[in-house]
Amino acid sequence: MMWWQAVIDAGAVPVAFVPNPAALRASKEERESAAADRATLVEEAELQAHPVPERGSARIPQPVSFLAGFSRWAVVACDGIIQLVDAYVAAAVRRRDAGGILHTTSGRNRAFAVAPLERMTPALRQVLEASAPDIESIDGELAGHPARYLETVDSTVRRVRAGLERDVAEHCIATLGAEEWLLLDGLLSRSPTVARHPRALGVINSHGTQFLEGRGLERALTLPSGHRTSVFTVRGGHTRTEVYSWYLRLWPWEGNDLLYGLLRVEARPDPASVALASALSGWLVAERAPLATPATRWDRLLYPLHNVQEYLKARAPRDRFTARPRLPVAS
Amino acid sequence: MIDKASPAIGRVVATEQKPATPHQFHFWTATETTVGIGAIVKVEGAGRVVYGVVTDGFAYSDLATPLHDVVGAEGDPARVVDAPTARQEIRYWTAAVLRQTPEEPLQPVPLGQVFVADDADVAQALRMDAFLYSATPTAIPIGLYTSAGRDAPVYLDADFLMGPEAAHLNISGMSGLATKTSAVEFLLASIFAHFPPHKGRIAAVCFNVKGPDLCFLDQPGDLSEEDRHRYERLAVPAQPFERVKLYAPLKADGVNLNTLRTHPDLVGDVEPLTWGLQEVVDYAEVLLNRDDIDAKADAFIDFLRDRVLGRTFDDGFGTTHRVQSFADLDRLFRSIFDGLEITAGGRSDTWRTHHIATMRKVRNRLLNISTRCKGLVTDDGPASDLPWTEFEDRTVYVIDIANVDPLGQDLVFARVVSRLREQLERRELGVDAVVVFVDELNKYAPGDGPDTYVKKMLLDISERGRYLGLVLFGAEQFRSQVHRRVVGNAGTQVFGRMDMDELATPGYQVLTPATKSKLATLPIGELMVRHPHFTQPIFVRFPKPPVLRGRDGVERFPPAADVPFDDAVVRHLVRLDRRIRPNQVKDVIADREQDDVRRALAATRRARPDDPLAYFRKVLGSRVTAEAGAPREHRAVQPLNPISDEPY
Repeated sequence: MMWWQAVIDAGAVPVAFVPNPAALRASKEERESAAADRATLVEEAELQAHPVPERGSARIPQPVSFLAGFSRWAVVACDGIIQLVDAYVAAAVRRRDAGGILHTTSGRNRAFAVAPLERMTPALRQVLEASAPDIESIDGELAGHPARYLETVDSTVRRVRAGLERDVAEHCIATLGAEEWLLLDGLLSRSPTVARHPRALGVINSHGTQFLEGRGLERALTLPSGHRTSVFTVRGGHTRTEVYSWYLRLWPWEGNDLLYGLLRVEARPDPASVALASALSGWLVAERAPLATPATRWDRLLYPLHNVQEYLKARAPRDRFTARPRLPVAS
Repeated sequence: MIDKASPAIGRVVATEQKPATPHQFHFWTATETTVGIGAIVKVEGAGRVVYGVVTDGFAYSDLATPLHDVVGAEGDPARVVDAPTARQEIRYWTAAVLRQTPEEPLQPVPLGQVFVADDADVAQALRMDAFLYSATPTAIPIGLYTSAGRDAPVYLDADFLMGPEAAHLNISGMSGLATKTSAVEFLLASIFAHFPPHKGRIAAVCFNVKGPDLCFLDQPGDLSEEDRHRYERLAVPAQPFERVKLYAPLKADGVNLNTLRTHPDLVGDVEPLTWGLQEVVDYAEVLLNRDDIDAKADAFIDFLRDRVLGRTFDDGFGTTHRVQSFADLDRLFRSIFDGLEITAGGRSDTWRTHHIATMRKVRNRLLNISTRCKGLVTDDGPASDLPWTEFEDRTVYVIDIANVDPLGQDLVFARVVSRLREQLERRELGVDAVVVFVDELNKYAPGDGPDTYVKKMLLDISERGRYLGLVLFGAEQFRSQVHRRVVGNAGTQVFGRMDMDELATPGYQVLTPATKSKLATLPIGELMVRHPHFTQPIFVRFPKPPVLRGRDGVERFPPAADVPFDDAVVRHLVRLDRRIRPNQVKDVIADREQDDVRRALAATRRARPDDPLAYFRKVLGSRVTAEAGAPREHRAVQPLNPISDEPY
């Protein structure tokens, strides 16, 4: 019996609510933006646009491991107005062989309950603690504000997922081959070990955090296709470790929007990263094919990372994380 | 149980759109897999084992729309290969259920792991275990199941191939690939090697209707090591047929054989096939076309059979006849017609109640055959015929009628098959079962066209032959053009490479597009088999037959040119006695009428005396009289059921 069934049997009200990831993502980006720090250029005095090697001439490392994470959560029961959440997070690394085929080399997942234990009725709390093997207790102050409460839940789940991704990345870095590269979906700077590795790159495709301003920001956001910006440092805020970063445009933005096809790349804070920025950007431009469709952000999502996400999605439990028609349930 | 040493190669998947059912399931495999169309697989789960045969396959990637591939390659197909990552692909297969254990309750296929079937699984899947491992096995190897890297023998059940449960085999395939003839030759070898002892003795009668196809069944052909391995796996001797008897009519000269097996080293094994008036009249219906068939003609032919042939007969106009040959018959007709004209003064147009027009029609038809099929139909006395009471076990009787007039082919076919049926009914043939191989079945039993005697006879064999042990192995290029009851009554259906137009006909609707595609590209030596025990068609490979192919035979043993009359006579007599010297024969026949010599030769051939030359000289000394004796028993063919449109 799953833990929420035990809780429901003990008197909790059954609930089925799967949040809209897009709505929660907007909140997350707002928070990232607020926590951002300014960037310092390390390549040039003023941020410039540099052409990167054409797709045909780019050097693509071999082999490359790709790391991505995945999370899902759903409200499954209510103890009064306390919403009890079932969550699942996972991360995996898939290595690309010489034939371009991806093979999973490592991965971890965690299924847990999210609940403000101190706000729960004692009986149900007891049942929850007895039946759920893994619980993330959260602050119950916002329990009276359901929407804000769910943001807290989402933040908690993302934090757990980030921790899992960091652990998997560190494990991968420890076993990385002599010529092998690791490409992460997200921030490189979560782990100092990973952030300092000479063959690790982070690729960020959500741009809730702005590091540039003025003329530099304008050049970054109007970057032509197949170009990168000068390298700058990223530090502070949630990025506890300093890393070098630059923007890269995969597809022409004209006719779409400013962020269309725009990536931010993170690499170790080392002059070698500046020297390699164009070559590495050429590699990433070469990764635009195959397209990562049908993902909605396919214009800035690299296919191998999309593949890792699909792999994780396929392995995730799906019964309680599938949104259902929200018609009234007859009593 | 699953052999744990054999790893799973796939997994059954089911969705609401494509669920697993009791008769069909879907599974996926790795991109690199040995599974293909026709592969037999095994699924285990939920306490049951399910065997299936792959009937369709699909491959697709996570590409949402082809346009995305164009965008990714920037419009240049050559750049697709530049993509560093291969898209996620799937190999997705559809399989039709062959067998479930337990069979009851019949349930949907469990969503379990999929394994490649091994030899024992193949036997289970095709329900061969019942006749392969019984106390009295009735298994006849048809070929090797070679899909998915396997090499498992596939067997037919003799009770369903040779009767009595079901019988007959029909094989379809494109011409020119040697598949149909080769398959039948191999299968005959297999039958001879594995025909169950408790079912008795068996022989085969093959009509060679084109070229030299079946003229060298006693000569070894070239076999590859792979073929020899297949023979070993199937436990069939890789040797030509030990006992082959080839019959061929004579040419119009009455002495040279009308066959392509006339090479001096082989011609001695060819028996002449010649028939006289009596044999022809018994099957006069064959010679009459649809317009000719009426009660009057039938009555007159019956009159000739019962009252005239082989008897001393007074024509009523003062002449006594003894009709034993076409010449005698012609004399009788002339006498009757003259009698009506002269003696009766032309006042009467009937004789013995038969109208003169009816008599003229029958006369024309009967005498016409002696002209059109000269060499097969002769006036040389009693026939040189097949050994109707002494058929030998495991012997192939080849009747070469490739160069005979179509009417004569019909006559040979009708008479031989009818006699086989009669002898089998009486249990006087010498064997208990006979396989009759007829190629070009769409010519002899077409789906449309007139209801000929031959077609009626083929229908009769198809529907009743299994009770007698008379088994029809028919071959044709276009199955859709063969009478549906002939095809439908064939318990075993075999298909070689097929024409796509033929596959588009309604008879193939049960096959999936993938199976049709495979059928359209089948290599030589591979067949698709349907058999009562197999719930789905199965693809098998059979080895090249262990005999010399016709076209190779005529290259290795080029046919000899026709020899002069006296040399041909010498050859026939030397065959009977190798001590005979040509000059002796030529001296005997010098200045003699050729008709007399032919009659003497026929008499000598029939008598097979100890001293053939002396016997020949003796009978040539006087007119060879026909064998008198008691009136010949009329072995009328049983009436055939009229053709109806009733299905099977």
